Amino acid sequence: MMQLSDVLSYTLVHATLRSTAPILLATIAAVISKQANIINMGIEGIMLFGAYTGYVVGYFTRSWVAGVLASVAVGTLLGMLVGCAHLKFKAHILVVGFAVNMLALAMTRFMLQQIFGVSGALVLPDPVSLPTIHIAALESSPVLSSLFSDYCFMEPIAILLVIALWLVLYKTSVGLHLRSVGLNEPSAMTAGIDIGRNKFMAITLSGLFAGLAGAYLSMGYSTMFVENMTNGRGYMALAAMNFGSGNPLFAMGGALIFGFMDSIGARLQSFGFPSQFVLMIPYVTTVVVLTIAMVSARRKEKAMILKQYRDGEKTVQTS
Amino acid sequence: MKGKIKLRPGFAAAMLFPFVFGAVLMLLLGYDPVEAYRELFKGAFVGNFNLGTTLEKFCPIFLTALAYCVTSKVKYFNMGVEGCFYLGALFSAGAGFLIQGLPWYIHIPICFLCGTLVGAVWAAIPGALRAYLNVNELCAALLMNYVAIHFANFMIAGPWSAKGASSQTAPIEKSAELLRIMKPSRANVGLFMALFLYAAIFWMFRRTKLGYRLNATGTNSYFTDYVGVDAKRMVLLATILSGAIGGFAGSIQTMGVYGTIIDGFSNNTAFDGMLASLIANNSFAQLPIYSFLIAALKSGALGMERFTGVPKALIDTLIPILILLLNMEGLFDFKHLRKRRKKKIAEIGKEGA
Repeated sequence: MMQLSDVLSYTLVHATLRSTAPILLATIAAVISKQANIINMGIEGIMLFGAYTGYVVGYFTRSWVAGVLASVAVGTLLGMLVGCAHLKFKAHILVVGFAVNMLALAMTRFMLQQIFGVSGALVLPDPVSLPTIHIAALESSPVLSSLFSDYCFMEPIAILLVIALWLVLYKTSVGLHLRSVGLNEPSAMTAGIDIGRNKFMAITLSGLFAGLAGAYLSMGYSTMFVENMTNGRGYMALAAMNFGSGNPLFAMGGALIFGFMDSIGARLQSFGFPSQFVLMIPYVTTVVVLTIAMVSARRKEKAMILKQYRDGEKTVQTS
Repeated sequence: MKGKIKLRPGFAAAMLFPFVFGAVLMLLLGYDPVEAYRELFKGAFVGNFNLGTTLEKFCPIFLTALAYCVTSKVKYFNMGVEGCFYLGALFSAGAGFLIQGLPWYIHIPICFLCGTLVGAVWAAIPGALRAYLNVNELCAALLMNYVAIHFANFMIAGPWSAKGASSQTAPIEKSAELLRIMKPSRANVGLFMALFLYAAIFWMFRRTKLGYRLNATGTNSYFTDYVGVDAKRMVLLATILSGAIGGFAGSIQTMGVYGTIIDGFSNNTAFDGMLASLIANNSFAQLPIYSFLIAALKSGALGMERFTGVPKALIDTLIPILILLLNMEGLFDFKHLRKRRKKKIAEIGKEGA
């Protein structure tokens, strides 16, 4: 019989970071496009394409670098496709995003059947996987080695990328341009910022990171490819982005919550909870967290309006 | 919405391109595209069974497209129809085999009521969250699908399981089954109910006060608020209606097609419906055409796979491409391009002169 302390122990930190990483990478993709005021639904599909490409290319070239590069290339191309369809040909962004998702589902299934003759899951013998960072100095202590050692290198990189993205968005002129395009297009245009180029760049980068997230999913998080293996993670990333209202650092908080619930769920399963309820946990959490975030945002807004109103009254009285 | 179908320039090219693309793919893979498309056509339309299967697939796609279309009128992107569809199917199946010994004219309405109500309630949750708390409906509704699907799988595998080899519930009572038309296919009278519902909703949006209010909310919610129509309530109402239609579609699927509910029976039906609505540009008048097109492709693909070995997934690949192309304005606008070229030539000519 397992104890509750087995569920909530120090090993949870590692598990949480592991299951956060794919959502976090996708969250970066969501945040970048959101800053240009584009909701890129296609992240889910691009991730799936990235996962497939990375896994297969990695297997055939025997090199994880090639796999990751291929995923990123495919992601970037798809991002450009989405950008082209949306910006040049004025297709509705949700339609494009959703079409990409459907395309990814059908096409990966098609390629699994045609190339490997399997349906469902593709488990290749001896697949390549992303290297992990093993710190030998910590081997003596199980607690420390669980906390700091044996991470896939993508997991710390994802966190660093979020911080870097925050710096770029809020501390550089490139980020300022991008944000101003998203906040107020006419003003940005007046200031001489190329709107089309900024938006296209945002969507392309968003595709790039979604591809990277896919590569991590099939080569780091697990070492196989399963049909629809993203399983709504792209949508969760969009929810995390919403939770942080576009700010990468707050969005990371959202992604961490989902990752945490995901890893807790995996442990509760061994407690005898029905697996379906365990699988529900991250989705329910997402909706609840989104609601709480919106309620608190509203409260803040109301307080601000009230404050403005009172300040206004004061000035009227004094004058 | 005028209800008049106006084809964009380049419409035919956008419709044709995916099939040409598919043919090229088939040639590359060593299949005969002419044979494959002939089987696709046969599989969709020729014979009672094939046409019946198309109609059977048409019914849920059409209804879920309708469900999506209703909410799109109030500018609410309802990706949660799939969840309503699942729960509607689940609860009408529950009512179908748990309640026994009723005559069909009482039992069938009860089952429909169960499915429809559950669907409405389920859709109302993200609807209310969006209307009153401004929670993004894209995420909320979409993620609730997963909750609904996992819950349905739990009920199918657990409490309501038929305890057989495959994961499904006990078959519903004879008194809850819908009459089948066009045997041996599984098309059923649910089709007529769907068409009737469609007509009713079309009429509601065109001719009644409520429909006008819903339309106005979508066009300008500030205006509706100003003239005294509660825009928030209108959004909530539209989602409830949409969920009810989704649940109704699920009920038809259980009572007419499967007679039970099987693990993963839907396979993204509601998303096909959503895509149909999106290609139709959310116009009620065009919904049936595109829903039928997608249903025919899906059902024809089965025949194609059976007789020529071309995998069904190929057709599933072509459908999103079709949607993408149809949604891109002016991609195949050759007339426009030609005009531009002529203009250029004329300009160059002038310069030369």
